[in-house]
Amino acid sequence: MQQLFDAALFGSTLRIMTPILLAALGGALCSRVGLFNVGLEGLVLIGAFSAIVGNYLFGNVLLAVIFSIIIVMLFSALFAFISINLKANAIVVGISLNFLAAGLTTFALRAIFDVKGAYYDKDMQGLPKWDIPLIKDIPWVGDVFSGHSPLIYLGILIVIGLQFYLFKSVSGFRLRSVGENPVAAQSIGIKVRGIQYGAVLMCGVLCALAGAQLSLGQVTMFTEGMTAGRGFIALVATMLGQANPLGVMGSSVLFGFMEAFSIRLQGFTLPTHFTQMLPYIVTLVAMFFFKDRTYQQDALKAGGSSR
Amino acid sequence: MNRVKESLRGLVQPLLAVLIGLLAGAIAIMVVGGSVVDTYAEMWKGAFGNFYFFTNTLARSTPIILAGLGVALAFRAGFFNMGAEGQMILGGLSAALTALYLPGPGWFVCIAAIVAGIIAGGIWSLFAGWLDARFGMNLLITTLLLNYIAINFGGYMVSYPFKDTTGSAAMAQTPMIDQTVWLPKLFQGMSLHAGFIIAIVAAILIYWFTHKTVTGYEIRMLGSNPSFATYGGVRRIRMMMLSMIISGGLAGLAGAGEVLGTQYRFLDGSLSSASYAWSGIMATLLARSHPLGTAVAAVLLAALQTGAMGMERNTDVPLEVGSVIQAVLTLFVSAQIGYSFLKRRKEKKSNATTV
Repeated sequence: MQQLFDAALFGSTLRIMTPILLAALGGALCSRVGLFNVGLEGLVLIGAFSAIVGNYLFGNVLLAVIFSIIIVMLFSALFAFISINLKANAIVVGISLNFLAAGLTTFALRAIFDVKGAYYDKDMQGLPKWDIPLIKDIPWVGDVFSGHSPLIYLGILIVIGLQFYLFKSVSGFRLRSVGENPVAAQSIGIKVRGIQYGAVLMCGVLCALAGAQLSLGQVTMFTEGMTAGRGFIALVATMLGQANPLGVMGSSVLFGFMEAFSIRLQGFTLPTHFTQMLPYIVTLVAMFFFKDRTYQQDALKAGGSSR
Repeated sequence: MNRVKESLRGLVQPLLAVLIGLLAGAIAIMVVGGSVVDTYAEMWKGAFGNFYFFTNTLARSTPIILAGLGVALAFRAGFFNMGAEGQMILGGLSAALTALYLPGPGWFVCIAAIVAGIIAGGIWSLFAGWLDARFGMNLLITTLLLNYIAINFGGYMVSYPFKDTTGSAAMAQTPMIDQTVWLPKLFQGMSLHAGFIIAIVAAILIYWFTHKTVTGYEIRMLGSNPSFATYGGVRRIRMMMLSMIISGGLAGLAGAGEVLGTQYRFLDGSLSSASYAWSGIMATLLARSHPLGTAVAAVLLAALQTGAMGMERNTDVPLEVGSVIQAVLTLFVSAQIGYSFLKRRKEKKSNATTV
């Protein structure tokens, strides 16, 4: 037991949680304006890849992250255009976007780096590790909370900022009203489309950060399909958290912990297949207990798009 | 006359989409510095160049057609079944185990294995449907999650209890299925097997079911206008269960066909790495859930994939160009769905009906 639940387990929980959390916050923004974004997986994948490309082009981590944000915003604008202006079913557009991301990243991997499967360069600099003064000297807490990449701390700050923005600011109220009832929102002069675009573009920024944390956070590399379903897990986190930033944070912590735990269990005699299955089973069980009623109503309003 | 006109108009959009996809592919080819005409010529040769390549394309399309039909039926009923991959894997695994351990004459075991595949896929899909109907758990998400569970479960079964220990290879796979149980080949020395005929028959059957039977009509009605369907007495839960079990059964059949007709064993990762299930979803999106259209779109996608392989053998252009074309195609068609929706809304307005 002592071996199983040490500080390192909680430290890696934070690391694993961050990409899920960032993408799920993006998903929450989208669902707040009434667009269920299934394309999170693809957006994060593009983010991870473009972060590596940016790093390769500029040799600077900050510029790499900015480059990734610009690229992913382009793709989220595509999602916004097709689902808002052309009024396509957002779920179908999201699925197609995932295909596009998988195809484009594998193709670009060949075209830019001339490698198949994975790109790795030992000279490339990943995200820095920050030691938090004061906290790093506290025995157990320091091991858990200190020495992570800046994006992990940024993720937690964004949760607090977003919670405040959505529920305490006027602009946040307007944003929520668009998702609740677009017609009513429009009748009092709120620019519905503008707000929807803004939310989807912000979702792109968050997905880019999630991708950057994936590819530049631990190891500086990109592998084909490296998101491996994390975008879908983020979607579940959005739903479980009822599109509330704090709720999303809670469910992301749960998934991060389950994955860290399952990696830890591999050191024991259990077959890896079962430990890898564990996060998905826990997700199913969590869905059973925390049903997202608001989403069901949204789906009904949208003409039963998914149900 | 009207019908002909209508089907022609239905063809315009897919053809336009193919054109746009090829255009995107051309840009990708130019980016890597290849000659567009030569590359597309090699692609065509790789897919349809001679009889051998052509049957290869059809063989590859077989699981895509079946998985796509399953997804199409669920789409028609208004449900997003994203779990074709998991259903296919469990179907393939059950078919392999039945073929290995059930005694009896070859033809009997073969049929039993196919049935086992259908049942396994159907039950896995029905489970997701039941979770939705009974507990309100979102189907789109549960089917996705169940995929990962099925992949890991299949991997475990062939890595431990049913692992092939006879060969020297350390692959995670079941032993080879006896030759008498194999699905027969359609042509000597070609990879095309009887599964393709099953897939075509299934496409026609599903078309007949959705367009000519009362239950099929109810399923389509449920998908296009749920509240009207419920008002008209369609039992939603029952229809959902039915469409999910058929949908999963078709995916399971796809897995069984691959195991009995192509690989002759269940090999860990072989069904998921070729992403047949996701190609099936693409085919459905391209054909907008029309059963016969899905079959045609599946052959088209398979041709793109085999063509891209042929192209990579003979040019410097990477085969991933194929996936770019497929993805752009699908994205474009999804936009077109919205376009037709817009037109419908305009018509509604001019008829002065309230929403």
